[in-house]
Amino acid sequence: MASEEASRNSRSRREPKGRILQQDKYSVLLPTYNERENLPFIVWLLVKSFSESGINYEIIIIDDGSPDGTRDIAEQLVRIYGADKILLRPREKKLGLGTAYIHGMKHATGNYIIIMDADLSHHPKFIPEFIRKQKEGNFDIVSGTRYKGNGGVYGWDLKRKIISRVANFITQILLRPGASDLTGSFRLYRKEVLQKLIEKCVSKGYVFQMEMIVRARQLNYTIGEVPISFVDRVYGASKLGGNEIVSFLKGLLTLFATT
Amino acid sequence: MATGTDQVVGLGLVAISLIIFTYYTAWVILLPFIDSQHVIHKYFLPRAYAVAIPLAAGLLLLLFVGVFITSVMLKNQKVTKKAQ
Repeated sequence: MASEEASRNSRSRREPKGRILQQDKYSVLLPTYNERENLPFIVWLLVKSFSESGINYEIIIIDDGSPDGTRDIAEQLVRIYGADKILLRPREKKLGLGTAYIHGMKHATGNYIIIMDADLSHHPKFIPEFIRKQKEGNFDIVSGTRYKGNGGVYGWDLKRKIISRVANFITQILLRPGASDLTGSFRLYRKEVLQKLIEKCVSKGYVFQMEMIVRARQLNYTIGEVPISFVDRVYGASKLGGNEIVSFLKGLLTLFATT
Repeated sequence: MATGTDQVVGLGLVAISLIIFTYYTAWVILLPFIDSQHVIHKYFLPRAYAVAIPLAAGLLLLLFVGVFITSVMLKNQKVTKKAQ
């Protein structure tokens, strides 16, 4: 543990704070399932944000056998933007987010990984801010937060917002995570940090996102935060059922008891 | 920025919490130091309630949470039984 810390300290002393180095490359992992209509938009927005900021990037699309033809759209995008910028690494069927990240990381050539939703609830315009924040504090992880600064959610009704705030409050009390948004999935990780965390995590779904942050704190990784706007056009329509609430509480208690 | 009603509800919640907080603080911390003949005591219940009311509220909350979780789990069981 001490040697790990020492090597991490020497690494952070070698990296100059605040400058994007020539060799920094950012890999965006996009797990998709039935995103035929959103995929061209999100890729265009990503390409726009990265090119405008002159950042070296690649986008890895991990399609889980979508029946609506997302894979064909992805193949067309590869032809349009080039196979060095868009990598299509599909899978046969819906296998889950954690394994999608692992699969995507195997093909990632960047030294930073960005995870986000492909359904346009996360706007790529925040990514240069993530990168800037990461350089500013030399953070291992930068998390987009909906609960701090001018971060927030568009498209939720009052009941949903209250439930979300109460859940976040209970989570803060039980887990003391040092991050304000635990269930968010718009994040920037150093590649080796993400690999290490995925190895250690055992839960599924959004509890998986929570567990990543908790484990990161256990391993003494530094976490920075950037306020983001989450636009819920899809899930704003369906209500948060009692089922989800109970499974969230179960996941939370499991994390509380085991970490 | 939150929408109109949401802001109103939020402000309302904050106002209610402030009121409860000041009332309770005055009740438990200030009143013991005030002369028992002073008129202000008319506005506060006997101090035994300062313990009883929060206790009862806490128990009610636990009861509600328990009932909620139980009903969700029962509904779940019914659904899986139907699916079988």
